[in-house]
Amino acid sequence: MVEDLLHSSAGWLNFGIFFLLAVVLLLVVLGFVTYAILAERKVMGYMQMRHGPNQVGGRWGLLQTVADVLKLLLKEDVIPKLADRPLFIIAPVIAFAPAFMVLATIPFTDKFQFADIGVGLLYYIAVSGITTVGIVTGAWASNNKYALLGGMRAAAQMISYEIPLIMSVVGVVLLSGSLNLNDIVEAQKNGWFIVWQPIGFIVFFIAAVAELNRVPFDLPEAESELIAGFHIEYSGFRWAFFMLAEYVYFFAMAALITVLFLGGWLPLPFLGFIPGAVWFALKFTAVVFILLWFRSTFPRVRADQLMEFGWKVLLPIALANIFLTALIMELVKLF
Amino acid sequence: MTLSGEFLAFLSLAVVSVMGGVLLLNLTKVVHVIVALVFTFISIAGIFVLLSAEFLAVAQILLYSGAITIIMLFGIMLTRHDDTSETKAGGLRKVLLFLGVLGFAFSVYIGIYNLDFGQVPNTLHENNTEQIGMALFSKYIIPFELTSVLLLAALIGAIILAKKDDEKGAEKE
Repeated sequence: MVEDLLHSSAGWLNFGIFFLLAVVLLLVVLGFVTYAILAERKVMGYMQMRHGPNQVGGRWGLLQTVADVLKLLLKEDVIPKLADRPLFIIAPVIAFAPAFMVLATIPFTDKFQFADIGVGLLYYIAVSGITTVGIVTGAWASNNKYALLGGMRAAAQMISYEIPLIMSVVGVVLLSGSLNLNDIVEAQKNGWFIVWQPIGFIVFFIAAVAELNRVPFDLPEAESELIAGFHIEYSGFRWAFFMLAEYVYFFAMAALITVLFLGGWLPLPFLGFIPGAVWFALKFTAVVFILLWFRSTFPRVRADQLMEFGWKVLLPIALANIFLTALIMELVKLF
Repeated sequence: MTLSGEFLAFLSLAVVSVMGGVLLLNLTKVVHVIVALVFTFISIAGIFVLLSAEFLAVAQILLYSGAITIIMLFGIMLTRHDDTSETKAGGLRKVLLFLGVLGFAFSVYIGIYNLDFGQVPNTLHENNTEQIGMALFSKYIIPFELTSVLLLAALIGAIILAKKDDEKGAEKE
């Protein structure tokens, strides 16, 4: 359907359809973010032997996040006097817009996808890098030493961990022979890539957690050393935009891991009668749960350990994985 | 020319990239200049997409988002906090500059107005990632490898320079 739309002539009707689709996706993502935050608090609560939110919206605290967002909307919007005003205002937008853009290429099922781009995988990684520009801009514009430190850390971390992230998926690209996310899922019919690429999966997962700025790699916003890192001067809805960008990336990265390594919408053998969307949702939920589990069980690494781990451990392992995959592929071809 | 979606997209991307370029020259604060640069680079990547060169577009964003972040950090670290650059140009210099700009615009206009590449039917727009890969690793393998050796040499040179500074700093302490 989207293909036909893209090739038709421009008009208000088409614009309206695209706009509507985008709004629907935005609402779905906002719904996810609302309940992801609740799930995070609940899961962390139970892992730490407490209940988590249980007052607003019944026993499960189902309206807790809604109440929090309403509070944020009503909050006073503070811009520090010495802040760089135009940059301070534009930074949350630069940080959030790419987070929403990357969602366009992710195939949720074989029919539900917004843009089937030939270089979908690279597109995701490239566009997600723009967010760091927004974070550094916001950090500098705040005119606060803790914010600037957080921004510097965010930049260093993004550059160091983007390289292992890309290198670890080269194995997947070699096996599937394509950068297109649909083709990558189709190539997993004979077994998910988590089975064929276990090393690549582990490196990708660690690098993904680092790219998401989550514990144990949440140095840009380490609250115990930097108060709140890059968003310390932000309040109200601008702050909500940074948070929203973070959780949208959480959504997108969990979906990307599902697509790359867990076979996307493909079912397990003999269970093909369950629709693809359900399979995707199940795998996606599992990935999200593991990410929440990481958050509540790992301590934060030190800044120097972070850099050393990225460059001296993850990168060589990812390179060795590429070499090994190519070698095995050639050997299999020979015999 | 019909008003198709492609034309509208081109127009908006072109306006953003030109505006970014103009702001890049006119703004005075370092970080503002770099943010203007971001807009220029991203809209040029958008124009690559319109020309169905997705791989080039994505590579552009991938490389420059990291590069711009680094430039921004250097801009922050190597300049003073409230530093703004002011132009100190005399009247004669401005006139000469204007003439130079006019001359450049005129020569470019003459150069490209009647330029005709001829309509050669090609298949460059389909599967261009694969085609780039094929070309790089078969026809242009030697230049490609030479470039990687050059980059490696630059990398090692940078490491050696950084190391030397470190030792001197240690001696001073």
